[in-house]
Amino acid sequence: MRGLAETATAAAGYAFPNDLHIHWSLMIVLYPYITGIVAGAFIVSSLYHVFKIKSLEPIARFSLVFAFAFLACATLPLLNHLGHPERAFNMMVTPSSTSAMAGFGFIYSAYAIVLILEILFIYRPTMVALKDMSTGFMQKLYNVLAIGSDNVSPESLALDHKIISFLAGIGIPMACILHGYVGFIFGGVKANPLWATPLMPVIFLLSACVSGIAGIIVTYMIIMKVKGREVDLECIRTCIQYLWGFFILDFVFEMLELFSHAYMATHHWETLHELYWGPLYVSFWILQVLVFSVIPFLILTWMNLFRLGDTLVRIFAPLVSLMILFQVLLMRWNVVIGGQLMSKSERGSVYFHPEWLEKEGILPALLIMVLPLVILYVLSKIFPFWLEDDPVASEPTAG
Amino acid sequence: MQPSYRSKYNTHVIRIIVILVVLAIAGIGVRAMMIPESFGRYGHYRGEAVVDEMNREIRNGTNASCLPCHPYIKEMHFSGIHKTVSCEFCHGPVAAHIQDGKVIDKLPKKQGEAIKTLCLRCHNQIIRARPRESIKMVEMPKHLEDKKVGIDHTCDQCHNVHAPLMWVKQAKAMMGVVEEEAKQ
Amino acid sequence: MKDIQAEINKGRRAFIKKVLEGTIAGSLLLVIPAGAMDIPEQITGMREEDGPFIKKKKFAFIVDITRCIGCGSCCVADKNEYNVPDGHYRTWVERYVIDYDDNVYVDSPNGGLDGYQVPREDVPEANVRDTFFVPKLCNMCEKPSCVQVCPVGATYQTDDGFVLIDQKRCVACSYCVQACPYSVRFINPVTKTADKCTWCYHRVRKGLLPACVNVCPVQARLFGDLNDRESQVYRILHEPHVISVLKPGMGNKPSLHYVGLRREVV
Repeated sequence: MRGLAETATAAAGYAFPNDLHIHWSLMIVLYPYITGIVAGAFIVSSLYHVFKIKSLEPIARFSLVFAFAFLACATLPLLNHLGHPERAFNMMVTPSSTSAMAGFGFIYSAYAIVLILEILFIYRPTMVALKDMSTGFMQKLYNVLAIGSDNVSPESLALDHKIISFLAGIGIPMACILHGYVGFIFGGVKANPLWATPLMPVIFLLSACVSGIAGIIVTYMIIMKVKGREVDLECIRTCIQYLWGFFILDFVFEMLELFSHAYMATHHWETLHELYWGPLYVSFWILQVLVFSVIPFLILTWMNLFRLGDTLVRIFAPLVSLMILFQVLLMRWNVVIGGQLMSKSERGSVYFHPEWLEKEGILPALLIMVLPLVILYVLSKIFPFWLEDDPVASEPTAG
Repeated sequence: MQPSYRSKYNTHVIRIIVILVVLAIAGIGVRAMMIPESFGRYGHYRGEAVVDEMNREIRNGTNASCLPCHPYIKEMHFSGIHKTVSCEFCHGPVAAHIQDGKVIDKLPKKQGEAIKTLCLRCHNQIIRARPRESIKMVEMPKHLEDKKVGIDHTCDQCHNVHAPLMWVKQAKAMMGVVEEEAKQ
Repeated sequence: MKDIQAEINKGRRAFIKKVLEGTIAGSLLLVIPAGAMDIPEQITGMREEDGPFIKKKKFAFIVDITRCIGCGSCCVADKNEYNVPDGHYRTWVERYVIDYDDNVYVDSPNGGLDGYQVPREDVPEANVRDTFFVPKLCNMCEKPSCVQVCPVGATYQTDDGFVLIDQKRCVACSYCVQACPYSVRFINPVTKTADKCTWCYHRVRKGLLPACVNVCPVQARLFGDLNDRESQVYRILHEPHVISVLKPGMGNKPSLHYVGLRREVV
């Protein structure tokens, strides 16, 4: 009988007999990847709503809905991973105060509430206007989304504006907690030297920002291309600036973590060394570091130090963003899977290759990654993402 | 002139607060219902889980669960040097043999090559890992050659598995050989 | 034959008396499987324990590496006791081979379940300096990482120091598997919950030794009461011996002790 854990094969040395299973496989790679994109996209929106980066206005609302589409799917990989998904709510019914994992349900729910409320408040004038313009089911839906209120008086909108500022404000620490926390789930496992570092939440958070910004750039530019519209290049240039900044921090911390392990050279380093130059050599050194970190870093540096022509930005912005999206996915893989490739015997490692059709295999992973985009498409039929599609775009509400 | 609205300027905010409060109360209520009764009785776990664990089926008895029905084996087994070897190691758990006081199935007896494999789990010299308080080690097939028996002999052709030296001693007594006792 | 029968009857009578007197917490004993009590007590006085937890005894487990012969009886008994699915191990036996160049070779094919029939092929016979076996099982930590990380309270530590799993609440998130420094945990593909060695809590509570201890032919596995100064485990732990626990630096404070633990063992 195939277990719930994927089977690994011994690579070198001696692995404990129970370590020939990879208990956290693709699904747990996706989980921090998706929550990272959520947190990162939210940060993009906050740069506009809280930090008043005006050039990000065209994508500020889109970022929120984008974050929501991914947030809606963030629990799917987890549920698919659990041996008893029907007991998932045990996490909220009897959460253990000592468990780093028990807080997820609460943090996730709180964050979801903040995100949903912020979307509803930002879109309320639009919902009111669209309600009057539509009929039948859509009218009812817009009425619900406007919370049954038709009041768009300046007094009402001023109240909304205050609430939006508040939500965007508390949303930033919450997004940081949501993802820093995911990092701590790994960082707090003392039995695993690859995970057990206080840098883990920091690295997770920075890579989250990076993947969120990159995800927004790519989807925004693709949607504009499909719609045949003009991309707001000022907005993209600003995004690329932030992407560069966050990516420098992210990459530096990733390397710092490895460097301090190597420099301090505790007895763990021997195992880690075998891992990085053994089963992880290709996915870490070649792919994550060389191809998808160094090259994007050079491209980003070039894009930020010189003012490139519009055509070059149109080509390189989505390209470098895609590469960074891969970088973050590889980083999740190398952390989550990598950490499990070395046995706790401290003298052996295993290989792991995901299967296509396993319960937690590549195909389910692809489905889970496509689903947020489907949700995003459905949401686009309800919420006008772009200012030019919005009947009340000229109003000052969005700011 | 301001247009007239059906809702007040803060209607939606109040509704949202009401919805959130209702959800929170419902959540707390449902949670309270879902907590198992004995949860937290002794600590952050379901108290009855200890009882569940305690009532797990005992599948391996002890030698005492075998011997009442096998008195002859008992006598033989405990008079020999294999007396520390458990019945169930070689024959399997008593639960596969007796349920509710009734015999449900026969337990396997190892035969032929399987018995050799079984003996060599403990007595295989080549593994070289038998520590101080050692047990008798043999090297196969050297042992068979030394004893001048057929190379295809299995262990139980010379050794009673329950009392390995019983037949050897009997044979020696019959042949009038007594001196080798010390070497064993 | 007669004395055994008498022994059983004596135990049973005393036991039933206790139940009738109501000294035993009601729900605990209603469902004891038939037959369990027919076997004479191996841990004296256990059947007089009447609370939800063991009060008078503090159990310790000792593995004596200098005695283990690597026969794998313990693994066989364990698999039989729990019907452990193939490829998963509640307990296993490792073989260490050290050569004259101080290279350490470790293996544990099928967790030692089939015993060790052949020498390692990659170490020339003449170069082998030393070979020994190390049985592994749950360390029953005083500060268990698995209990700390379990999000739902399904892995717990009882008042009598056993770390157990609630099969009805475990969601199989595998966090405990990741957190255990000793890799004694796995996800049971049949129950779809976390699983591990329990030091045979169900046997111990009924006065029987853990299955592996019961079958060990050379007393390499010892289980006993530290409150009893006459017990073998008390003597071993309080007399000069080379005694250690695995990975002491983890801070988990295992109550599984090893006699003759060698520095090569992780």
